[in-house]
Amino acid sequence: MKRILSLNVNGNSYEIAVNPWQTLLDVLRDELRLIGTKSGCGIGTCGVCTVIIDGKAILSCLTLALECEGRSITTIEGISCAESLHPIQKSFIENGAVQCGFCTPGIIMTSKALLDENPKPDDNEIKDALSGTFCRCTGHIKIMEAVRKVSQPVKEEKSDG
Amino acid sequence: MADKFSVVGKRQPKLDGPLKTTGRSQFTDDIVLPGMLHGKIVRSTIPRGKILNIDTSKAEKLPGVMAVITHKDAGGIMVGPDQQLLCDEVVYYIGDEVAAVAAVDEDTAYEAAELIKIDYEPLPPLLSIEEATAPDAPILHQYYEDNYADELNLNFGDVDKAFAESDHIRVDEFTTYPTHNCFAELHGTLADYSLPGKLTIWTPSQTAILIQKGMAQSLGLSESNVRVCNLNTGGAFSGRGAVRPHHLIAALLSRKASRPVRIMATSDEEFIVCRSGGRNKLTFKSGVMKDGTLKVIDADHLYDCGAYVETQFIMPTIVGATLLLLYKIEAMRYRGRLVYTNNVPYFFHHGGGLVPSQFALGQHLYLIAQDLGMDPVELQLINGVDKGYTTLNDTHFASCGLKECITKVARKSGWKRKYGKLPPYKGIGIGCGVMSSGGKGLFIHDTSAAFLKIGEDGKLSLFTGLPDMGQGSHTTMAIIAAETLGIAADDITVVSGDTDIAPFDVGAFAQRGTFTTGNAVKIASLDAKKQIAKTASEKLGVKPSTLIFRDRKVYPKGAPDKAISFEDVVFDTLNSMEGRFIMGRGFYNSPTSKPALAYSFGAQIAEVEVDPETGMVKLLKMTVAHDVGRAINPLAVEGQMDGQVFSGMGQTLFEECVMENGQVLNQSRLDYKLPRPYEVPDIEHIIVESNDPYGPFGAKEVGEGPIACNPHAIAMAVSNAIGYTIKELPITPERVLQALKEKRKEKEQKS
Repeated sequence: MKRILSLNVNGNSYEIAVNPWQTLLDVLRDELRLIGTKSGCGIGTCGVCTVIIDGKAILSCLTLALECEGRSITTIEGISCAESLHPIQKSFIENGAVQCGFCTPGIIMTSKALLDENPKPDDNEIKDALSGTFCRCTGHIKIMEAVRKVSQPVKEEKSDG
Repeated sequence: MADKFSVVGKRQPKLDGPLKTTGRSQFTDDIVLPGMLHGKIVRSTIPRGKILNIDTSKAEKLPGVMAVITHKDAGGIMVGPDQQLLCDEVVYYIGDEVAAVAAVDEDTAYEAAELIKIDYEPLPPLLSIEEATAPDAPILHQYYEDNYADELNLNFGDVDKAFAESDHIRVDEFTTYPTHNCFAELHGTLADYSLPGKLTIWTPSQTAILIQKGMAQSLGLSESNVRVCNLNTGGAFSGRGAVRPHHLIAALLSRKASRPVRIMATSDEEFIVCRSGGRNKLTFKSGVMKDGTLKVIDADHLYDCGAYVETQFIMPTIVGATLLLLYKIEAMRYRGRLVYTNNVPYFFHHGGGLVPSQFALGQHLYLIAQDLGMDPVELQLINGVDKGYTTLNDTHFASCGLKECITKVARKSGWKRKYGKLPPYKGIGIGCGVMSSGGKGLFIHDTSAAFLKIGEDGKLSLFTGLPDMGQGSHTTMAIIAAETLGIAADDITVVSGDTDIAPFDVGAFAQRGTFTTGNAVKIASLDAKKQIAKTASEKLGVKPSTLIFRDRKVYPKGAPDKAISFEDVVFDTLNSMEGRFIMGRGFYNSPTSKPALAYSFGAQIAEVEVDPETGMVKLLKMTVAHDVGRAINPLAVEGQMDGQVFSGMGQTLFEECVMENGQVLNQSRLDYKLPRPYEVPDIEHIIVESNDPYGPFGAKEVGEGPIACNPHAIAMAVSNAIGYTIKELPITPERVLQALKEKRKEKEQKS
């Protein structure tokens, strides 16, 4: 039996009828057609489907849509606009952290949750945050470099505050 | 003097970076067509048995089910020489496709699949090479005389004479275990066969052409009536080069339901569909002289190919031929045999079969170096090939940076300071490799074609059939066109991923992208350049041959002050009485009857630390040198090196499909151990540029060469750390602890 769910995604409110067993991932992709969140393994082993819920990086394939009532959800579509990419996205491009691109949105969202909470993570903190992600192409090396580099402008900006 | 190149050799970020980082790149699972159905395959639950009955009646009655198919709908379609699409009488492995359903949503499709009842009479399965090759073993496939699926024998020089003349002969036997590719994007396809005579199929792939040809042949369609869309591919690593049963099943379901059908593998199903490397038994016998000169290699390899051979017959060809390419030897013998079992059919893992073989050969050569009391780097330097060398099978190396790679990694890693002088449980090892760049042999030709068109604004659209699976080949193609025409890579839009639009290209395998398609793009760009030069020469009053194209300008050689803009010349060419629209076209088929015209070479030095309590190995550092001919895009070259070090490390230290009674036991990305950020080693990149005379701007491959270097570097480093050579792959903690136990036992026996 479907239930009506109020969902807040990227600052927009949606009211949709969902089945109790539908995951947030399915609702984002199939109902809202926000396909930037990719569907990987479906069982929480690869991190591809990561979104940010109330500031935390969460696997949308393991989250039931109905659990998200009233919570603030950010997907990859919500961090950039037509005018400009998010600094993490720019850093991933400039530092060669993107290869096939399938895991990229999930890793960027994981990185964003990390940097929002800890703008200057050390290498171990980056590894910790990314340990649930999965990239078969880059060996994670340039991904870590991209995350490391995006945290540097924050350091420079501090001088005027 | 300004740089020789204005675009080539610069660190160019990927042109599709904005699409990929925003999630806008569309993969197969992102495509939704009107009326699309969801398919689900019903698979065998036993490794071998007779099918007594297939009952689909309950599934057919389930509301929402639009099509159910079995062998009766497949019309005897064969997938490869031995596999009937949808089994009729016999199942050959756990996961063999027996039936399939299409329904209005995924839940209904799953429910319907559960309702299909298949009765089996189990037969005793053959689950190892030993069982399958035993004299009394039942023969698995009809029309075969035994369970050998294929055999390749190579023989060059006088092997017996070379052994007789050798000072020292050594034989070693190795066992390597099944692995899995673990692409980020799982297997899946969307087929629309709802119009008569026209099939459109979306699938991740390394080659649209082979999918097109395979589908057309199986379904009795004309090739042009099969449209293959491979927009983006979430990783391929040698494993996505052919039509697989799920492609054909989706098409048949679509035809029966008259609606498009998408099939996506589930996480556990992926370990059955993907079919990476199988279990191998590899024997190496070599003869050497006291001074370390390698005279002869004799290799006998047995590969468990699982239930069906697929395209694995290519693997012995790759492995066998590679043994001729790296060392100057007098003679070589290779016997590679593929053995049918009732395991999951195996295919290719990253490295195309070279990781197991290179691991074994590397450990074997390390043991030889120890027998002779030689430094392993010295052994590589004495025997490695050089530029101008011609191998036993008549392959000539027009460029070769192998020795430069070896000396550079040795110097950079501090090999002399470290080898034999490290504290206990720390080790260092070297591995070398060779890889064909633009391997031929699939067809009589190995053609890549390219078109381009230039708009009035001087911006270019480049059409290529070469898929970009993440390696960055579309950006590489744009750089090659930009350098040739003197514009920027950003001025170019690469159009690809649709066989209705893109020109012919055999595909992105055998390391042919940069070399073969790169040459085609260069030829197409030169064709356009000639047309632009005609206008420019008239305007500037000089001969076309004296014109320089650079930085979006065209000028007579030595007179950059007379430059006119590229955009203006293109505009004037169209806006003239002739009204010429600039289009370039070209194709390239490397002019050789040999397997390849160019080869890349590499060397890597691994430094490891072993924990004797747990057996865990940590790869601390990898120093990587690769002779890429010319680095078209150094940023992408480093990315290829990184990825291959990581993947090679995974295959060497972690990755194994644990098999029991034909079942993969660790069917998830948590249970199948593969490296994650914590395992990231320190990597030092050294790009060696030998400037190949045939490569575009001198370039060769870097897409698979580095992984051919690192399994033996890591394995040797582990052996060096623990003072014992492990002959099984992967070198898991259990195997390290077992090796330490064996070592203690051997020591006690001696004392």
